[in-house]
Amino acid sequence: MYTLFIDTHYISLHLALFKDGLVIEEIKKEDVKHSTYFIPLLKELLEKNDVTFDDLSGIIVVNGPGSFTGVRIGVVVAKMISYCKNIPVKAISYLQALSLKYDNDLLIGIKDRNGAFVGSFNRDHDLVLDYFYLSNKELESYPKKIKLDEEINLDMVYKYLKNKEDIDPHLLKPIYVKKIEVGK
Amino acid sequence: MMDTYILAIESSCDETSMAVVKNGCEVIALSITTQMDTHAKYGGVVPEIASRMHTEAITFVLEDCLEKAQMKLEDMDAIAVTYAPGLTGSLMVGVESAKILALMYHKPLIAVNHLIGHIYANNLENNMEYPLLALIVSGGHTELLVMEDDYKFKRLGETMDDAIGEAYDKVARVVGLPYPGGPNIEKLARMGSHTYFLPKPVMDDTYNFSYSGLKSAVINLVHNETQRGNDIRKEDLARTFQDIAIDELVRKVDKAFKNTGIKRLVIAGGVSANQYLKSEMSKLCQKYDAELLIPRMLYCTDNAAMIGAAAYPKYLRKEFSSYNLEVSSSADIV
Repeated sequence: MYTLFIDTHYISLHLALFKDGLVIEEIKKEDVKHSTYFIPLLKELLEKNDVTFDDLSGIIVVNGPGSFTGVRIGVVVAKMISYCKNIPVKAISYLQALSLKYDNDLLIGIKDRNGAFVGSFNRDHDLVLDYFYLSNKELESYPKKIKLDEEINLDMVYKYLKNKEDIDPHLLKPIYVKKIEVGK
Repeated sequence: MMDTYILAIESSCDETSMAVVKNGCEVIALSITTQMDTHAKYGGVVPEIASRMHTEAITFVLEDCLEKAQMKLEDMDAIAVTYAPGLTGSLMVGVESAKILALMYHKPLIAVNHLIGHIYANNLENNMEYPLLALIVSGGHTELLVMEDDYKFKRLGETMDDAIGEAYDKVARVVGLPYPGGPNIEKLARMGSHTYFLPKPVMDDTYNFSYSGLKSAVINLVHNETQRGNDIRKEDLARTFQDIAIDELVRKVDKAFKNTGIKRLVIAGGVSANQYLKSEMSKLCQKYDAELLIPRMLYCTDNAAMIGAAAYPKYLRKEFSSYNLEVSSSADIV
């Protein structure tokens, strides 16, 4: 049985295919326009492995935090596949995925150009505070230690989510951390 | 010939809509969910909020549409989607959805220009015959075109600055009416008389339009009257503005009838829901013994049925798009 992994939360497009819990193919493309390349890349991944959508038994999607538009593309596609083909979908934030690499309480952060998204996790990898964003300046003077990391471990993500509940595709949505400006 | 069923998606602004359209003219099902109430709080569409709401609505709208149609995705012959013009983030939700549907169900993908969709909305209840004059009036566009055949457009004129719908919205804001401004100005205008003086737009020989001067004149007038301590007679101001704004359209279309000899006029875009515009244009068409086509209200405002209608000629000509299809905030018809 195949599981599709989708991550479009930031500048890279990251796709992977699991077979019976093991990664059989992983594609990562840096700095490409998500909207142009995501679907062609997904098509390539499936065709290369001779897998159709009907062969999928699960979807894992990274639902943020990161670029609003970037995350949205992965989430919209995951929703559609899950809804149309009736395939269970699970979501994980990139920060929580990173936290799986550590076995202690910690603050974990991922950098973007202007600062970092931060999440606070306990040793069971549960989020204990709402996600927040720190500018580069705030990050420098932040009183607590923040572990900055980039690379997630796909096997750990798969194992962690295995016993977690599926999400109704209608209700699946991105995690938005940064505030938006609304003109009055 | 076999019947063609197209699933169409529209998400260019603040409506998430899907439709199943048969042979480019028969609406089998149409679902629309609007975010208007949310954006009204901010006095206009907030792009990021719009994109978020499209994301949350998209599978619900698909479910509703297929249920209404009593059809399955497998039954479709193509997937059509608005790719431009509009809000980039909003368009993207529709376009990515269309691409994945096309990929999953092995259907051709058809990219539709939203404005052309508005024109083809007229095929949903009538059959457009060519040649015709097409007047596009919306929040982003004011254009007068000659259409010689399916997808054959020649531009006569366009706005040199603001679109007519934009002017309506701005004037509504200045006189303190809530969003969406256009329909509210129209309501108010019905109760007023043409008593203010506002300058007429472009008085040249072209088919071009201009609405920024008229808009500024309203802003100045309100400003000056307020400074003098005078109350604004909102109804009269709305009426005066509307008379001049619509008269400008009538004058240009009148000239086009006279110069081209074409006997058919199609009006498209959100402002075509304006009753005063309709009655003035129908008088004009009587004068030239011309046929007037305006879609009913449901198809005047943003909807996916018109996208399905506009996709049909492309389907027949096999003008399909690749999965690299990109959205665009702006796009010309010609």
